[in-house]
Amino acid sequence: MSWLAIGALALVGIAIPLAMIVVSALLRPAVPESGKKTTYESGEIPTGSGRVQLNIQYYMVALLFVVFDIETVMVFPWAVMYRSALEAGVPLSQALLPLLAFIGILVVGLVWAWRVGAVQWTRSIRAATQKTERQNT
Amino acid sequence: MAGVLQGEVLLPEQIADLLGLEGALGAAVGALIGAFVVGNVMLAFTGVAGPWAKRKITAAFTDRIAVNRIGPFGLFIIIADSVRLLSKELIIPDGADRPSYDLAPLILPASAMLGFAVIPMGSLGPFNIQLADPEAGLALVFAFASIASISLVMGGYASNNKYSLMGGLRAVAQNIAYEIPLIVTAMSVVVFTGSLQLSTIVAEQSTTLVSIAGVSIPAWFAFVNPFAFVLFLVANMAEIGRNPFDIPEAPTEIVAGYQTEYSSVYFVLFYLGEFLHVFLGGAIMATIFLGGPAGPVLPGFVWFVIKIWAFFLFTQWARSALPRVRIDQLIEIGWKGMLVLSFANLVLTAIIVGVIA
Repeated sequence: MSWLAIGALALVGIAIPLAMIVVSALLRPAVPESGKKTTYESGEIPTGSGRVQLNIQYYMVALLFVVFDIETVMVFPWAVMYRSALEAGVPLSQALLPLLAFIGILVVGLVWAWRVGAVQWTRSIRAATQKTERQNT
Repeated sequence: MAGVLQGEVLLPEQIADLLGLEGALGAAVGALIGAFVVGNVMLAFTGVAGPWAKRKITAAFTDRIAVNRIGPFGLFIIIADSVRLLSKELIIPDGADRPSYDLAPLILPASAMLGFAVIPMGSLGPFNIQLADPEAGLALVFAFASIASISLVMGGYASNNKYSLMGGLRAVAQNIAYEIPLIVTAMSVVVFTGSLQLSTIVAEQSTTLVSIAGVSIPAWFAFVNPFAFVLFLVANMAEIGRNPFDIPEAPTEIVAGYQTEYSSVYFVLFYLGEFLHVFLGGAIMATIFLGGPAGPVLPGFVWFVIKIWAFFLFTQWARSALPRVRIDQLIEIGWKGMLVLSFANLVLTAIIVGVIA
């Protein structure tokens, strides 16, 4: 039953934007000009493609996220079970220690990533030298 | 203690009963009407918030007078602005990646609206305004809310603009850095409730924490664990991309981020989706930390609305008062600060609950 209502809201959530697009299509003018279609680059004529090379950092944090995201999924069932398990008489060592060990392993991973510099924003060599020059003067 | 609200009839069934429909047809019609009502209420909130309340609040913070020409308190600017924005010409940039350029503005508001399906919004008269109450409610609402970043990266990549691409990537980097603290902090609440069902989480908060001079303070998790509340508030601001974490848009750095090349109705949809996300963020905060629709005298739904508008006001206050963090600061705050603190919070909560119970 609950999925029916969620599906209905998904339908409404798609239908409202679609209705707005239709209304807008009826209202708006269309005066195509070649100049309008150029991408915005601070008023200059765009150079090259819009899909440029990126900072490697985006890739590094995404890799790290995969590890930690799976880990948060693993914490879900533990958090749901924990209190009722304790109330049912499971000793604290059995209910809590596995989680502590699990998080401990991840903390080791985080410390490694931290020391390797995966969570440190990488600067290009040029930016780094510029900064030192500024500090020297 | 648990299950005060459990078993209560939800909005779709109430509508079906009211119409005298039964079985599958009743369920389908009830669900559709309920969803239509909830969707339009949220749309109305964003309509008031976007063109009117945001301007009024910012003006009050910066000692100016905002929209006051059309209608009482300038309220009719909502109508004027929506007509103005919808009737703008739609300009699609050269080299845009068509299917994803068109889909991105659809996904953002749809994903935000979908989150409201499982939020318990309290009662108004005879109606219990909650569309669905699945057991995995909390996991679902986070899942729906994080679809947004897909839309932002789609829009950013498809626009064929360097600023847009950077905005889209920043949105993803920000979302993944703050998603984990957000969920781990929410887990520290689940340790108390033992359930992901949102109605149970709300019911758990209806008990009395302490009574001071005859005034009983409810056991809202914001009072039970204020540290988790603050952590969640910060992570939530980053998750919905509001100041000081609005780096995916960052108007002074990358023009308008992922929405640089969007105009007309597509821009409206992005704008709408952002405001829906602010309200969804407020609704999640209210549900798991502020007792959901609980409150004295007034009906539950009114309290729920007050709480999400209070969160909206908070985001606007932050917008006027706090400087934006840089991308490198954002990554470091997220991975080095928030992540460690949220784990510490979870472990401490688990130990305290374990020792007391």
